[in-house]
Amino acid sequence: MSLRISLISLAFVALVTPALAEDVPTFDLSLDGTKFTPPDLHVPANKAFIIKFKNNNPGVAELEAKDVGIEKKAAGKSEVTVRVKAAPAGSYLFVDEFQEDVAKGQIVVE
Amino acid sequence: MIGALIIVFREMMEAGLIVGILMAATQAVAGSRVWILGGVVAGLLGSAIVAIFTGFIASAFEGSGEELFNAAILATAVLMLMWHSLWMIRNGRSLAANLKEAGKEVATGKKTFWALAVIVGTAVMREGSEVVLFLYGIAINNGATNSGLLLGGILGLVAGGLVSALTYQGMLKIPMRHFFSVTNALITLLAAGMAAQSVSYLEKAGVLTLFSDTIWNSSAILSEKSILGIFLHTLLGYVDQPSLMQLIVYLAVIAVVYGSGRLLSQPRPQIAKQV
Repeated sequence: MSLRISLISLAFVALVTPALAEDVPTFDLSLDGTKFTPPDLHVPANKAFIIKFKNNNPGVAELEAKDVGIEKKAAGKSEVTVRVKAAPAGSYLFVDEFQEDVAKGQIVVE
Repeated sequence: MIGALIIVFREMMEAGLIVGILMAATQAVAGSRVWILGGVVAGLLGSAIVAIFTGFIASAFEGSGEELFNAAILATAVLMLMWHSLWMIRNGRSLAANLKEAGKEVATGKKTFWALAVIVGTAVMREGSEVVLFLYGIAINNGATNSGLLLGGILGLVAGGLVSALTYQGMLKIPMRHFFSVTNALITLLAAGMAAQSVSYLEKAGVLTLFSDTIWNSSAILSEKSILGIFLHTLLGYVDQPSLMQLIVYLAVIAVVYGSGRLLSQPRPQIAKQV
């Protein structure tokens, strides 16, 4: 049984290929209070991209854009890396989930 | 208050379902309750610790620490679920068929008790830390203490506990002759769903890039964030925008549990006859 478990874990590790140093377009986004800067994030269509999300608030923020699968926490006064998959052209709403009624912005994929 | 209740409930529902299913699945195994309860308590303590170290975890590994942490936690739970599931395949039928014999089998079953505690503990910890952060976030961003939000949060926690109780009661209504196969299927699907979620975290961390293209998007039909979506996500592993790798791993876990289950039950033909 333990052999089986170790085989399963081995398979798991084998699936995790090391990250490749690829050239992914990177965009900055910051949050101050309820205000996102920039409020409209313009990114290329059908290409994976990275958002460097900087939370300038004292408390935790959670950047969420359901339609493009973003769900990412950032502790107060910190910066995190958000990897986003290629998305078709369109605009996608994002919010700080902890204050989703007031802190909003959109990703414009074009 | 209602907003806080819904958010906390949404987080606790997943943990509630998992606890309910495991309690029902192991109800014939003497002593399993204590370990499950222990897992819940440890998970709650863990929630607070994870919440405190969120900043540290999130900034680790070039800002992808949260994803790697969650992927590791989920992978651990998956291995424990698979192990538990295989143990139940070996011993569960005789537990259900003959409770007297169960007393004898439990001695060998003790090994999987801590697996139960780990599964429950990690589920409560993952969801609980979100709740702690959410309530803390409200308190610190809005400045003033808001008793309505706190009340909403507490009611959300109670509602999550209610999900556990309802799941447990509902599962016990399953006729005895189907009980074993239904619970084992549910636990297998739980494991497969968690494995797929773990893959998703590895993809988000940029560690796993193989077959990471999205193969469908059903978020317009059934969002993974809706109450029904969360329910199906937890029980069956429903994902509204899965990658090909997520699907492969999901099916692989089911195949491994099912395949090894068949291998394990073969040398015991006398048990097969009882079914």
